[in-house]
Amino acid sequence: MAVGGTKVNPKKFHRNQIPLYLYLIPIAVFMGAPIVYIINHAFKPMDELFAFPPRFFVTHPSLDNFCNLFKTTAGSTIPISRYIFNSLIVCVAVVVLSILISTMAGFALSKMKFRLKGPIFEVNNLALMFVATAVTIPRYLTINTIGILDTYWAHILPLVAMPVCLFLIKQFIDQVPDSLLEAAQLEGASAWTIYRKVVMPLTKPAIATGAILAFQAVWTNTETSSLFTSAEGIRTLPFYMNTLTAVGTVQGQGMAAAAALIMFIPNLVLFIIMQSSVMNTMAYSGMK
Amino acid sequence: MAKKTTYRPKLTKRRLKEWGWGYLFILPWVVGVSIFFLYAMVQSLQFSFYNLLLSGGIQLQPLANPFDNFASVFVKEINFPVTLANFAIGLVLQLPIIIAFSLIIALLLNSKIRARSFFRMIFFLPVIIATGPVMSQLTAQGVASVPMVSQNTLLTVLSGLPEFIYEPINNLFSQLILILWNSGIQILIFLAGLQKVPSTLYEAAKIDGASGWESFWKITLPTVRPMILLNSIYTIVTLATGGTNEIIELIYSVTYAATKGYSYGAAMSWIYTLIVGVILLIAFLLLREKEPKHQDEAVYRRDVEAAKTLAKLQAKNARHRRQRQRREGRAAK
Repeated sequence: MAVGGTKVNPKKFHRNQIPLYLYLIPIAVFMGAPIVYIINHAFKPMDELFAFPPRFFVTHPSLDNFCNLFKTTAGSTIPISRYIFNSLIVCVAVVVLSILISTMAGFALSKMKFRLKGPIFEVNNLALMFVATAVTIPRYLTINTIGILDTYWAHILPLVAMPVCLFLIKQFIDQVPDSLLEAAQLEGASAWTIYRKVVMPLTKPAIATGAILAFQAVWTNTETSSLFTSAEGIRTLPFYMNTLTAVGTVQGQGMAAAAALIMFIPNLVLFIIMQSSVMNTMAYSGMK
Repeated sequence: MAKKTTYRPKLTKRRLKEWGWGYLFILPWVVGVSIFFLYAMVQSLQFSFYNLLLSGGIQLQPLANPFDNFASVFVKEINFPVTLANFAIGLVLQLPIIIAFSLIIALLLNSKIRARSFFRMIFFLPVIIATGPVMSQLTAQGVASVPMVSQNTLLTVLSGLPEFIYEPINNLFSQLILILWNSGIQILIFLAGLQKVPSTLYEAAKIDGASGWESFWKITLPTVRPMILLNSIYTIVTLATGGTNEIIELIYSVTYAATKGYSYGAAMSWIYTLIVGVILLIAFLLLREKEPKHQDEAVYRRDVEAAKTLAKLQAKNARHRRQRQRREGRAAK
């Protein structure tokens, strides 16, 4: 795991660390519980899935749920690889675009001078609070008018401007000292260079967090598939998983558990890749 | 915008060059938000004054009184005010817990211990289980409540209290673990803030005789103060718009119900948004840093603060010295 590569761990164990562990370990057990549960749940055979009272750990692990899931997917007309491919394209596009847009906007809102700056940030705050359900129908109308129904753009564009991302990143850029940017400016760096060489590296933790949030928002999103697309071949993996497991049969429950694990793994992998930059960058950035 | 005090520079050629970069950087975001948020929000506001019919294209049926939808949210929907009040009480109870918990965890995770990265990962992991079904299954299985607390004498004592005080507290305990699972991002934000405090500052304070408690209040807390505001706003927003929120569920069910319809749901969303906005404003006013008017004032205030702290420490040291001398004197006798 990525843990080994980072330098933050002290080399030696020291006795006065013990009280810290006394606090940390019990809480860590609670925090780790959902992951343990997801993994256990996916391997439970039928009788254990419906056992009452429900059990946390699996006693007789089996691969039945996964077998059922693959059998069902093999029978469908559109291969599962198509859905995976769609999801991948949409996820990569949304994460890259939303980070690019949010960091640029955050930099402008935080460090640049221009008219209408205040109102623009207020609009972002309003969008942040607004109930997503209330904008679905207007969004459908907009997408219909632009003419991108049933394309990848219908998945990508509505999610690209993420108010939460901009908010987080802007607040982090606020903490970058002005003197650093002024120094870069005196050296003759253009705004674009400052953005790329100064602001981006210094706000890495916020960017990584934003990327994780954006990825989650897309990866688990079934709304764009069910509302903005009608062709089966353009829909994404979470939607497909939902249709498979929403049957309501006994088998469906098991498949849902297996699907939950499968959907969870990319999240975990992304997090493990990102975690060192999420957690440790600030310590080495030279910012005071 | 207030006209009297704000200085509005004219749009000259030089300024256009300076501002141009700003506009260029913000442009993609403005375009995205105007099309998919702002325009959609304005449209939903418009629809909330009509009765939207989706049979055969979009039709807007005028209401007898344009504010009928808004009025009936309060008159007909008995659940709405009650759910709203529960949400507000829950928020007031949960917010300090989330902030305090994440700050404590961030402090622990920032101290020098082994396997620190591993612990940091564990505490952030619940965040990436975004899928609602898993969370609700866990809650259903009772994993999310602390078993010791729910049977504790504390609650039996509290059950003597009136319903409207007891109910939120009981809710709080049954969701305690769930609350902790939701604080991953907050821990992360605090950690980033804590890592900016140079360790030399703590060492200097230690040499001057400050205890861990004192350096927490004088060094750590002022540094993470902007993070507390950021975290509070983030927490309020996620709690207010998250999938497990009862009001969101109510709005969702109303929007897709045959008898009530989209316009009614839109009216309800707007009322809710305004209320959340007011809550955020209150939080902001309570937690913001009061910006000093002049740089000099900030420096002056900091110096006064430093001098006060120093004087206190010196007094403490002198007291200790006197005590020690007295003790040694007694021992000598």
